[in-house]
Amino acid sequence: MKRKIPLIIGTVGVMLALAACSGASPSGQSGGKVTLTVWTGFTGGDRPGYAQIVKDFNASQSKIKVVMDVEPWDTIQQKLPSAWLTGQGPDLAAPSSDPNVIAQYVKTNSVLPITDTGSGASQIDVSNIAPALIKEFTYSNKLYAVPANYATLSLYYNKTEFAAAGIATAPTTLAEFQADAQKLTLGGGTKQYGLALADNATIQMWPILQWMSGGDIVDATGCSVLQTPAGQNSLKTWSDLVVNNKIAPVGLTGAEADSLFSAGKAAMEMNGPWAAPGFKSAGINLGIAKIPVGVSGPVTLGSTAPLAISAKTKYPQQAQQFLAYYTSKAVQKKFSLATGFPPIRTDLATDPQLLADPIISVFASQVADARLYLPHLTNATQVDANGYVPLIGQITRGKSVATQTAAIAKTINALTGCSS
Amino acid sequence: MTADTIGRGGVRRGGRALPPAVSTDKLPESRRRRFRWQPAWLFMAPSLLILGVFVIWPILVSFWYSLHNWTIGATDQPWVGLGNYVTLFKDPQFWNALGNTLEFTVASVILLVVLGFLTAVALMGEGLVSRIFRSTYFFPTIVSLTSIGLVWKFMLDPSIGLVAGITQFFGAAPIGWLQSTTLALPAVIFVAVWKNVGFTMIIFLAGLKGVPQERYEAAQLDGANRRQLVRYVTLPSIRPTILFATIILTIQSLQVFDLVYVMTGGGPIFTTDTLVTQIFRDGFVNFQTGYASAISWVLFAVIMAISAILLRVFRYNDVD
Repeated sequence: MKRKIPLIIGTVGVMLALAACSGASPSGQSGGKVTLTVWTGFTGGDRPGYAQIVKDFNASQSKIKVVMDVEPWDTIQQKLPSAWLTGQGPDLAAPSSDPNVIAQYVKTNSVLPITDTGSGASQIDVSNIAPALIKEFTYSNKLYAVPANYATLSLYYNKTEFAAAGIATAPTTLAEFQADAQKLTLGGGTKQYGLALADNATIQMWPILQWMSGGDIVDATGCSVLQTPAGQNSLKTWSDLVVNNKIAPVGLTGAEADSLFSAGKAAMEMNGPWAAPGFKSAGINLGIAKIPVGVSGPVTLGSTAPLAISAKTKYPQQAQQFLAYYTSKAVQKKFSLATGFPPIRTDLATDPQLLADPIISVFASQVADARLYLPHLTNATQVDANGYVPLIGQITRGKSVATQTAAIAKTINALTGCSS
Repeated sequence: MTADTIGRGGVRRGGRALPPAVSTDKLPESRRRRFRWQPAWLFMAPSLLILGVFVIWPILVSFWYSLHNWTIGATDQPWVGLGNYVTLFKDPQFWNALGNTLEFTVASVILLVVLGFLTAVALMGEGLVSRIFRSTYFFPTIVSLTSIGLVWKFMLDPSIGLVAGITQFFGAAPIGWLQSTTLALPAVIFVAVWKNVGFTMIIFLAGLKGVPQERYEAAQLDGANRRQLVRYVTLPSIRPTILFATIILTIQSLQVFDLVYVMTGGGPIFTTDTLVTQIFRDGFVNFQTGYASAISWVLFAVIMAISAILLRVFRYNDVD
């Protein structure tokens, strides 16, 4: 037995050491106060807006404390599935900037259905949140997330470069947009591009160009329409402008497009409200306008990130209480004013203070015309990564639109399960 | 007879073998001493435990995953047997990634070994200049791949990067190194070589300094010229060093991820996609854990096979 004593002590020591190393969630209860952890990937210029919501919530009551952990989206994507599976994850999280990703968490029963809805002070007022956003996060008639934000894309332009090109105002129609993009391209792009147009690792810009030109990616049944005449025409016009007229560099990521515009090397860029602070601090003589009206009317991209509750949280009621506060009218108004994002609530659409703000008003005025990217589409993330992004990459490098759309249509249909 | 008189393998130090086929439980106490618990296990226990929990167990589990259509968190994990392996062998993205990975590995390892050797030969001296150059070349090794990737990505930007600025200064058009489907992979290889050449140089320096001077003197007495000294003295003498450097660099290159992920994300149009970036995408973005695990095991097999080939190629005649 004496010989075994060191072994026992050693084993216990190692177990204790491993236990101390385990990544236990800091959420819990102490002194009657519940602590909720939240993971988000809001690292951009809008980050202070979310931090302010958490700070105000913690100050508003004494029973719940929210701790928000901000990490890059990539990191959250890697950690969250297994963290939620093992019960070691946060009580709430924005799993991705891609709203479609919530479908995966619903499939794996990782997120809690939100039930505490209604018009009460401590309830989530679903009826006043933009219906498209509620629909995006509803599966089998159950709501699994609330929108952490809602952004539309607008047209940023460099007023100085517009003036130098003799253009007085931002384009308002598709024809003006295309003409201005060409006019603002100097030296075949070596001196200046008309448009900073990202096609990968970015908020989606190409779908807007397609929608403006009367095309689309998939229909209501999830089948590709890229290969249809309308789909091809919508792509060909713009790819020709890129390939032949060099209005935009090829293969830009979102960050590279932002850098290009910030450096004054591109005259226009379509982007969300989060980009405004960076462009201003870069010293751009900045103008913000609505996306030019397309052939079928005004259209832009709507973007939202889901904020969901872990199915394994010990505090589902408190988590929903936080979401009720997060989505409340006063909080969302303050968030909009701080970040320039349009409000997620429909009852703030006519708020005079928001309408008077020169930035928010532009983004908010396009909410009604905004479309989400591949909403509720099966395997939407793969359709984007394996279908749409490579397609744009090929046609902007001079490959045939007809050939490429025909090939990618097969890929997309296989991913979505389209049988027609 | 005491245990001390029995050597390893149950052979008496005198050389006479023990009687065969003796049941262990019938052995006298003294004969079973080699099976009893040793205190050394206690000292090894923390390492073994950590190795088991964080390395061996996940490796085994990943193989189990690869036999299922596994999704993290799903209640149902359908058994597919070798289905994932069959699928990936029909997957053009997998073959593309494998091709890119091998291209990256072959190019970077050859360049690193050659440049590392030449740099080491050039900087073997102990003078101040040699020391300064050695430190300079080694510096990128201690910087993280992510930082290096970001810096080079910025420098290679065709619109606002330093390289484009220089080329434009000389009247040439800027080149989209990382946006080009033909130049992106060579650009990433170049950065990988730039980062690791200092590390390879240090390995070769250690090997070169270990070559006995007498061998050179003997060869010179036999009339060997400079080229023959390298061919017949230096290279055979540092063969273990070459083997070590080649295997380490090969394994590192086959697992390349950070640099590609930061610089190109696998693009443009998958032209820099490697096996590990595909594993990341399928595992963490597309939630296809089983499929990603299958790719991991194929990568493991590739590394094992190439390592075995290298060991065979670089072996001493009959020594190892």
